[in-house]
Amino acid sequence: MTLQEPPSTDTIATDTGTTADRPASLHFMEAQGLSKAFHGRPVLKSVDFAINAGEIAVLIGKSGSGKSTVLRIIAGLTKPDAGDLDMMGERVVIDGEYEKPWRTAREQVGMIFQSYTLWPHMSVRENLSLAPSKVLKESKSEIDERAHQALSEVGMAHHFNSRCTQLSGGERQRVAIARALMMKPKLLLCDEMTSALDPPVAAEVLSVITKLKEEEGIACILVTHDMAFAAKAADRIAYFESGVIAEEGDPQKLLFDPETEGLRNFVAAVRF
Amino acid sequence: MNSYQFDWGVIPRSLPMMLQGLILTVEISVIVIVIATVLGFPVAVARMNRHEIIRWPAQVYIEVFRCTPLLVQLLWVFYALPALLGITIPAVPSVCIALTAHMTAFMAEVYRAGMQSVPVEQIEAAEMLRLNRYQILRNIIVPQAFRQQIPTILSLDISLFKDTSLVSALGVAELTFQGNILASQTYRPIEVFTTVALIYFVIAFPATLITNAIEANIIRSSKLGAPPSGGRLRKLLPGQRPTITVTPPVVGAGAKGVLA
Repeated sequence: MTLQEPPSTDTIATDTGTTADRPASLHFMEAQGLSKAFHGRPVLKSVDFAINAGEIAVLIGKSGSGKSTVLRIIAGLTKPDAGDLDMMGERVVIDGEYEKPWRTAREQVGMIFQSYTLWPHMSVRENLSLAPSKVLKESKSEIDERAHQALSEVGMAHHFNSRCTQLSGGERQRVAIARALMMKPKLLLCDEMTSALDPPVAAEVLSVITKLKEEEGIACILVTHDMAFAAKAADRIAYFESGVIAEEGDPQKLLFDPETEGLRNFVAAVRF
Repeated sequence: MNSYQFDWGVIPRSLPMMLQGLILTVEISVIVIVIATVLGFPVAVARMNRHEIIRWPAQVYIEVFRCTPLLVQLLWVFYALPALLGITIPAVPSVCIALTAHMTAFMAEVYRAGMQSVPVEQIEAAEMLRLNRYQILRNIIVPQAFRQQIPTILSLDISLFKDTSLVSALGVAELTFQGNILASQTYRPIEVFTTVALIYFVIAFPATLITNAIEANIIRSSKLGAPPSGGRLRKLLPGQRPTITVTPPVVGAGAKGVLA
């Protein structure tokens, strides 16, 4: 779908009109007024957030501040209580309800989880080929060719026939990225995918994200505590605090000259 | 006891009858295990269904058969079911029905536990790849659950094989029943029931060894730890657990990054 030139994401216009009146966003993805409570405890309080095609946005903040919930709502794994979600010029969530266009929009979204979610009873090849063969109905030769290509992109081509249990943590996460790439996503959601990895391995995995942005134009929303990566690779950082985005903008500005006391304390605490 | 004179000479003469009983025992066991292994799966799926109208009957069925004695179930099916249905069920089909119903309930719980032990992130990852519920169940949940629960399933099968001795109470001429007849005919209960026990053991023990081997293999392949040391037989014996290798935490995580 061809989109018009997207507006800047530094400031998100707060339209006070009703959901039906408002035209769908020109951003690749835009969430407006997302709210979610678990067992009566609000974890998201009317969050507005947008991302353009080919952007890397990093969500930071303390545990329980709502970062992962935003990702899960965008992924369709957690239903919001309220709010709208626009994706590729279509309104896919209206007032907390996933609408029909969501079925098409979700085809553009892939997700990488914190824990290694490779299916351990399958080989790397089987992990990569299951969804394309069952969902996209691609031929075996086509899948094998694309699987080789996806594994090459994450530097894992030599593990095509390996068993998942033979791989290290970093290798598993790179295969998980390759598996997501097999479904040709335009937006990758990464939920603390490097938190269980050693810093050098985490850096390797995160470099794959940068490469995907540069070579494939894939947008990415990452929840990470790796401030070095955030400062170096992110186009934009959003700092979450108590279910709201307390500060959002340019990485250098946010990390080296934070405005809010919460972010100042957070940056000081992570000592990147 | 001290005055008891053993006479093992009765055993060779008794073996044909015992083997006849053993054949029926094995037949009943195989029929029940095969049917329960298949039926346990839909019951387990029903037990996990989000709709209460499907989940509750499955749960009630499982709890009734888990929480009542097997002998009572055998007697109930043999005496009460014909009275309720107005048809006479011969003893062997009757015990097969009761044992299958009993075994299915336990199998369903084993399958359910296995399926629910698959990490939810693996299922969510599959959902993100747009696999549907059936594809997730068929390709991701069931293979892992079944593989993980094989030792438990085999243990249940071994228990079922031994529990078939209870059907002797209903006059089914399986191994224990034949032993009872032989004991009363020869007045040699110790020799007869020692042999009967030995026959059960000779069949059940190799099955136990196979179960242990499979379990050890599953633990080894899941990289939870190294295989146990010692010879092949020692590895198979119960109680031999693989040692868990703990990787020390990485020192220096969270140290200064590139922008410091």
